[in-house]
Amino acid sequence: MQRDKFFKEIENVEHPNEKLIKTHCSYCGMQCGMNLRVNTATNKIIGVEPRYDWPVTVGKMCPKGVTAYQQTNHKDRILRPLIRDDASLKGTKEGFREASWEEAYDLIAEKFGELQQNYGKDSLSVFSGVSMTNEKCYLTGKFARVALGTRYIDYNGRFCMSSAAGGFLRSFGVDRGSTLPWTDIHETDCLFIAGSNTAECHPTSMFRIWNVQERGGYIIVVDPRETPIARRADLHLDLKPGTDLALANGIVHLLVEKGYADEEFVNQHTNGFEETKELVKQFTPEYTSHLTGVAPEKIERAAEIYGKAPNAVVMFARGIEQQHKGVDNVSGYTNMALVTGKIGRPKSGVATFTGQGNGQGGREHGQKSDLLPGYRKITNPQHVQEVCNVWGITPEEMPKAGVSAYEMFELMDQKQIRGLYLLCSNPAVSAPNLNFVRNAMKNLDFMVCADFYLSESAEFADVILPSVTWSEDEGTVTNIEGRIIKINKAQEPLGESKPDWQMQVELAERLGKGENFAHLKTAKDVAEEFRLASKGGSADYYGATWDKIEKQDGVFWPCKDEGDEGTPHMFLDKKFYHPDGKAQICALPYRPPAEEPCEEYPLRLTTGRVVYHYLSGNQTRRIQFLKDMCPEPYVEVHPETAGKYNMEHDERIRLYTRRGEAIYKVKVTEAIRKDTVFVPYHFGHEESINLLTIPALDPKSRMPEFKACAAQMEKLEPKKVL
Amino acid sequence: MKKRLYIELENCIGCRSCLAACTQCGGHEERNRNYVYDVNPHVNRQTMPLMCLHCENPACARSCPAQAIQIHETGAVLSALVEKCIGCQNCTIACPYGIPKFDEEQNLMYKCDLCIDRTKDGIPPMCASVCPSNTLQWLTEEEIEQKQRRHDLDNDKWVTSMPYLEGATNVKVNLPGILQGTEKLF
Ligand code: SF4
Repeated sequence: MQRDKFFKEIENVEHPNEKLIKTHCSYCGMQCGMNLRVNTATNKIIGVEPRYDWPVTVGKMCPKGVTAYQQTNHKDRILRPLIRDDASLKGTKEGFREASWEEAYDLIAEKFGELQQNYGKDSLSVFSGVSMTNEKCYLTGKFARVALGTRYIDYNGRFCMSSAAGGFLRSFGVDRGSTLPWTDIHETDCLFIAGSNTAECHPTSMFRIWNVQERGGYIIVVDPRETPIARRADLHLDLKPGTDLALANGIVHLLVEKGYADEEFVNQHTNGFEETKELVKQFTPEYTSHLTGVAPEKIERAAEIYGKAPNAVVMFARGIEQQHKGVDNVSGYTNMALVTGKIGRPKSGVATFTGQGNGQGGREHGQKSDLLPGYRKITNPQHVQEVCNVWGITPEEMPKAGVSAYEMFELMDQKQIRGLYLLCSNPAVSAPNLNFVRNAMKNLDFMVCADFYLSESAEFADVILPSVTWSEDEGTVTNIEGRIIKINKAQEPLGESKPDWQMQVELAERLGKGENFAHLKTAKDVAEEFRLASKGGSADYYGATWDKIEKQDGVFWPCKDEGDEGTPHMFLDKKFYHPDGKAQICALPYRPPAEEPCEEYPLRLTTGRVVYHYLSGNQTRRIQFLKDMCPEPYVEVHPETAGKYNMEHDERIRLYTRRGEAIYKVKVTEAIRKDTVFVPYHFGHEESINLLTIPALDPKSRMPEFKACAAQMEKLEPKKVL
Repeated sequence: MKKRLYIELENCIGCRSCLAACTQCGGHEERNRNYVYDVNPHVNRQTMPLMCLHCENPACARSCPAQAIQIHETGAVLSALVEKCIGCQNCTIACPYGIPKFDEEQNLMYKCDLCIDRTKDGIPPMCASVCPSNTLQWLTEEEIEQKQRRHDLDNDKWVTSMPYLEGATNVKVNLPGILQGTEKLF
């Protein structure tokens, strides 16, 4: 149990006729501890009480967390299966009628059967998400491969964590989002934070982060915008969107040149140093400044602070990862830690701020097009055999690797994929190049969507299956640190809604695969099978039993057996996960963003988040408090730029790129580069900034470049006065 | 051990979790009673909470013609007593910070009561419980003194009472400047 100076023994307030259910937030990777207040007469969730005894967040919650409980009994909940008979209404909210589960399942089995009969097994696809438990994520992978028998399964982590995963796998040979527990963070001497709007996206990290400065340590922030954390940072490197790799190379060059490299560590525990040293030589402060727009002195100062710091943590998030060189950016910044040996010990390391609640666990257990449980590869016959043994199928029956999330929409467009089972995701808002993606969904022969609200994506479905919110089921989630934690059930499912795992078990039966699924009667049953399926993989959860999670305040993977307490700190033995036990320092040639500004599109458009909304906003836009705080998107513009375009604060303007356009209110602020505009992405329909974003994919992670493309804006025609 | 609300202004990140959490206190009827302001929104992202400071000699209570505003033994200046409040709004005008809010429908003033059903038992108020940035903290006198010793550089940066605020307050505030006087580690 890691209890630190922020931990205080505080009793909870329990009101009469209420009980408290310990659990965690439904939203981001912080997975803040919370108690849900349940009325003991109605057995309904009615509020929230801090969970002071959760060691990571000690009672703290952001406004999303405080109001998360309002999702469960919300008036917008879908309470019964919905069927739409008139396909011409696709893309609208219209035409749905209530149906029984029997009718919905029958229709799905019939339509999916027809499609596979006519167009082959792979005409179906599953698009999933990671804002749900490991048990659900695991079973979704099995459902796609065993029940549907299709190769096409992928998930929204491709729009979120896949670059971090790719970078860590290349650098360390293993992808655990943080090499150290969060309870170390305030004790380090320097935080180097790139592309993370931490105060808005992972707010409950902030009390630890600020404490680094209070202790006399340093915070260095890399961001095109002066976000709340950048405002107070010791150093703000205000780079042009999409130029991170140049900055990383520039800093690594200075670390080497100024003698901050740890030669002993480099020699004994890494490969690739010499090539990297050669490659980064050209990234002098001046050249790096030329590429990134950051003043050379700032780059030098950043290298000096990081280099001198006895302990330091390199942290990053979607800002560097959602680029068409996201994987290189991750390995590039990770190089800083490897070159200086600031890794593999307490208070030093590398961490990505995991976006979704289960962004870590959900990517490890087989929802990715080429992965099987335990981070096994579907292309590795040995791995396939191991999983087949648990699933009760033969290796011949295991489908091959599929394609990434965005590429699935391309296959839909080409009519190779004709059916879709969508769950836990809202790609009609969160995917890039939405005109194309929405059209691809609209033209599907048959689409099922499991959700608890009628999302923008559900508007394209033929059948909607009502799923439950997080607090109506139980299971495990792997948080930002790599700590496996337990989500508890606080209320029975509302209406006729069901957890996703249960729908999949029941559907599998309809599809003739009952024998592989029928034994899974509870979430716990799924958990037991899942632990077994992960056993022996690099993300080994076998030893992480629910009892141990409860007893230890979570279990850090890897956790191989009953006696293993888990692994809060990675690489303490300086053993990395590549076959030779060494980490890889990567020589990474710089590439500019896929689309650079030009005469026609002179602005750099970047996208991101606000503290009041989560992902596509399907949940948070329905919560009154959050909606009041941020009801609509806007475009942030520097006053000088606004002046050039003759635009005023709050004026509605047209923003457009080669792919699409939208109308936004201008928010004039000096807290952004003059060459850059920013729009938050949580909004639907014609307000979605992803109508404009570019689907340039990272060659390894297949992550789209949400963070940089070329744009232009113009004033709206003044309304004709009659 | 007596604890106080302590405000470290420079920590504020503007998340407004304190506003959301305020609605969760048992006695608050799901209405929040505090404020968070953007200090200079066209220039930067600086924000600050504005909370009731629970003055030792509160102007709101002094101005109330109906004695509707009681002071709890802990020092918390309570919300108006429903049966006494006449809805005159003197308190809002008298308060140097405009803290008391007014419910038009009920013709009733309501304000921060420092989550009295929590703080009377030493449990932190909701706002300080959830505050992700440690802008709002619930500290012992001793902890507050430590902070004061650390931050009081005789340069007007440490502000807890006279002559800076209207009077002595139960809530202690450190104005922006938390990092002044911090010695860098290296
Ligand atoms: S959204 Fe994230 S930071 Fe906010 S309360 Fe939930 S888990 Fe914590």
